[in-house]
Amino acid sequence: MSDARLTDPAVDAADATLLQKRVDRRRALGILLGGAAVATQAAAACSPVAPLSDEEREVKLLAWREYIKGNYRFMTEAERAETIARLERIAKVKRGVDVRIQSTGAQPGVEFGYAFNISKCKGFRSCVQACINENNLDRRAATQYIRIFEMENGVVDLEEADATFQHEVPAEGHFYMGTQCFQCANPPCVKVCPVGATWQEPDGITVIDYDWCIGCRYCMAACPYWARRFNWSEPEVPVDQLNPNQHYLGNRARKTGVVEKCTFCIHRTRQGRLPACAEACPTGARVFGNLLDPDSEIRWVLANKKVFRLKEDLNTEPRFWYFTD
Amino acid sequence: MHLWAFGLSALRSATTGGRRYHVWMGTLTLIMLVGAYAYSLQLRHGLGVTGLSDHVSWGLYISNFTFLVGLAAAAMMLVLPAYILHDVDFSRAVLMAEAVAVSALVMCLSFVVVDIGNPLGGWHLLPGIGYLNWPRSLLAWDVLVLNGYLAINLAIPFYILYSRYCGRAPDKRKYLPWMYLAVMWAVSIHLVTAFLLAGLPARPFWNTALLGPRFLASAFTAGPAFVILLLSFIKRETSYPIAEGAFTKLALITTVAAQINFVMLGSELFYKFYSPTLHGINARYLFFGVHGHHALVPWIWTAIGLGAAATLALMIHPIRRNPRYLAIACAALFVGIWVEKGIGLVVPGFVPSPLGELVEYTPSLVELGVTAGIWALGMFVLTVLVRVALPIELGQVRSPYLDDTPAAPIVRPRSSRVAARDTGPVRTR
Amino acid sequence: MTGRSLRLGAAGLAAAFLALGCGQRGGAPARERDGGERVHNIPSSGAAIAHVDSEQAARNATREPGALETVTAGPVAPWKGPGGKPFEVALRTADPTTALARKFGTITLQTSARARAPDLGQYPCTSCHLGRKITLAEKRIPDAHQNIKPQHPRQTGGACKTCHAPDNVELLALQSGERATLDHTYRVCAQCHFAQANAWAGGGHGKRLDGWQGRRVLMGCADCHDPHKPALERRIPFRAPVLARPRADDP
Repeated sequence: MSDARLTDPAVDAADATLLQKRVDRRRALGILLGGAAVATQAAAACSPVAPLSDEEREVKLLAWREYIKGNYRFMTEAERAETIARLERIAKVKRGVDVRIQSTGAQPGVEFGYAFNISKCKGFRSCVQACINENNLDRRAATQYIRIFEMENGVVDLEEADATFQHEVPAEGHFYMGTQCFQCANPPCVKVCPVGATWQEPDGITVIDYDWCIGCRYCMAACPYWARRFNWSEPEVPVDQLNPNQHYLGNRARKTGVVEKCTFCIHRTRQGRLPACAEACPTGARVFGNLLDPDSEIRWVLANKKVFRLKEDLNTEPRFWYFTD
Repeated sequence: MHLWAFGLSALRSATTGGRRYHVWMGTLTLIMLVGAYAYSLQLRHGLGVTGLSDHVSWGLYISNFTFLVGLAAAAMMLVLPAYILHDVDFSRAVLMAEAVAVSALVMCLSFVVVDIGNPLGGWHLLPGIGYLNWPRSLLAWDVLVLNGYLAINLAIPFYILYSRYCGRAPDKRKYLPWMYLAVMWAVSIHLVTAFLLAGLPARPFWNTALLGPRFLASAFTAGPAFVILLLSFIKRETSYPIAEGAFTKLALITTVAAQINFVMLGSELFYKFYSPTLHGINARYLFFGVHGHHALVPWIWTAIGLGAAATLALMIHPIRRNPRYLAIACAALFVGIWVEKGIGLVVPGFVPSPLGELVEYTPSLVELGVTAGIWALGMFVLTVLVRVALPIELGQVRSPYLDDTPAAPIVRPRSSRVAARDTGPVRTR
Repeated sequence: MTGRSLRLGAAGLAAAFLALGCGQRGGAPARERDGGERVHNIPSSGAAIAHVDSEQAARNATREPGALETVTAGPVAPWKGPGGKPFEVALRTADPTTALARKFGTITLQTSARARAPDLGQYPCTSCHLGRKITLAEKRIPDAHQNIKPQHPRQTGGACKTCHAPDNVELLALQSGERATLDHTYRVCAQCHFAQANAWAGGGHGKRLDGWQGRRVLMGCADCHDPHKPALERRIPFRAPVLARPRADDP
């Protein structure tokens, strides 16, 4: 299991050396342009046409600072804290909500794995419901990270499966198979990103910096599991349905024109909790745990059950296994 | 001083012309404005105003992009025989070919920009302040090679034209190495674009080693076909001397490339349909439709019909040598390949999705508007470039700072409508 | 054995389980300790420290309702978890409906297919049948407990005494003659469903509460399965995905 990890130490080292230079340059640029922005805003404030309130001016300035910030992956801890403070403030001023955005890093010695019991899943879609609410998914576009496919017994073929079933389940003679992001160890989506806005964290979660993504959607074309979603329009989550417990790399507010994906509920799992889908599942079909811990439940399943992975021939090394009773 | 004068006379060449010229440019401007409005809607509301979806995440924009990269590459490949093999017949055509390459590249880059969801984040690509994921991402490669190619293709003709403008013969030692580079670069931009799609095992429809060669073959069909159309128009409308031999050669290249393209298409069809696997479902969708969904079927068969008819026609010598039939065949090939390699290549890669969900794609009005606008922009750029290059090449326009008397035009224009004011040197003071 | 000694034995067993369970609950939960150590390197700026506080607040906020800390649990014997490690099972609680409910964003969902029936496995019979215990020998009043229509086990025609102690329906009788409380149904179930019980102990069947890390508390068999009718009930699923993206209005 541990032979196919694709952490690229050479690339990371090179990135690290470039880091300081890049940060300095960007900071200089930021100060320069930021000053200009303040000046323009001051001018705009003086003009009689559209006087900005203090809050509007503050949000504009915050938005500008957000615009010139760097890639989260290369930020220092201080920069991370700053951007999070800005994002929390923007949420407060613009929407009147107190969100708490974590930047919790990966735990050492942890690599997440997931197993899905196709004998147990009954197609209730409780996981989907929990996922939507937990991850602040766009309600207007009805975005869903998880797909549950209804398949006829005897055939494991996604072409013939139906994910749009809406009848009493489980249906006679059918079984159910769920898909979501498989957090591949060899992720095709990561290497194609032209700006490095998506990467694999040390605990195996592939994340996106929504503010660094340019929205080219190459990763969506590259994913063999159709795990990525795009914000075609401004995502909408009613304030009273907003989950304030957020992570910078996870369920915080997304914007128009960027890609998002399942992160195994990074804001929960990095605190030792289960992903929302695994916890909400009423059938116990979902097993989640640390692949590096030989005494974990996921390792027990891999050792004691007959497992398979989807499209294993593509060498993506998903961290998501299917098993049967 | 010369440079300033060059700019001014270029501006003058581009803005003067007969009534038809102005109507043409006016129409293009109008379409560009419509496109700009459509794009403003897209900027305001997001890509939601397009027909794209999570299932079909690339559509008309990327289709046009892949097609136009081919056009840009193929046009430049015509340089090879002209400058390197010293084929005189060709050298007149080459400047036009470079103009085609530049305008195709302008369209390519525009299509990429409008396809991006967060264009304001474009600076993230810049090495130094941003992060360019090179060499791992093929898209990063594409950004580099396309911009590099554009730079080369602007620099070489500029050098040649500017030298002529200043009354010097362009120095071969200075531009020939770049010409070699440009030719190799042309192959690379098209292969890189093919690899961009072919390198995705997620999409078995594209994931074939034949995609790169097929791209080249189809580009070599569409590119010269377009240049033939352009040259015959120029020949009809201006005094620019284009030898019959250029047409003969271009037509031959087009014909051979079209034949090779068909062989490759046949191989692809054999591979997909002789022993159909589950991976062939995208091809089945494209050619025959799946589960009652067949939006692309009429398009692809029309394209193949046009291509086949044109290829057959071009194989008959009398037809190929008749300028009228040649033009019709070239137009048919161009349109056929635009469909086959644009919509017919990009969209079926997404239908059905890797999880077997079948969602079809129809471009929206906004998308069509933006696309039309970008094509108008490309035609506009092409017209301006040709308009600027022709009088200089003909020696009609030269720097006013030259001591010698201005060179007389080589041939008097046949039609005064277009070249009426191009007969003498343009004084900038 | 006389009825009296049986009663004493059962009470003792239950008391022992309770005591063990309390002991387990007494210490600080392992998850809490881990959580404290896991906070990433903190920069020394004030904003960052405020941020850590907010993380802590976030963690606390998501604990409600039904977080692991609020669930009473008791040790499981003789089964061991992966790596031979002991684990616990959720016990009957004062508030059965919220015990297995969890908050996802702003909604609360039951994490079990079967909301714990308040009339089964949760309340002692004596809470209604005041002051006396119910034996199987008693004649059943036709209108009482209509919801219990034993369909399981099929092999015995759903006979009550297959699982219940004949002299006290509140206790479960094992083949060995031992007794188990209704919190430890797995001991009875495992007598036939040994493969499922092994998978349950290992992690391949059933559900773990709250976390993948730290204290391992599993739901018991009857938390999901109605012992009288163990198959999960069919139901209408949550709404289906919309394949076609809603189009933004064309101008």
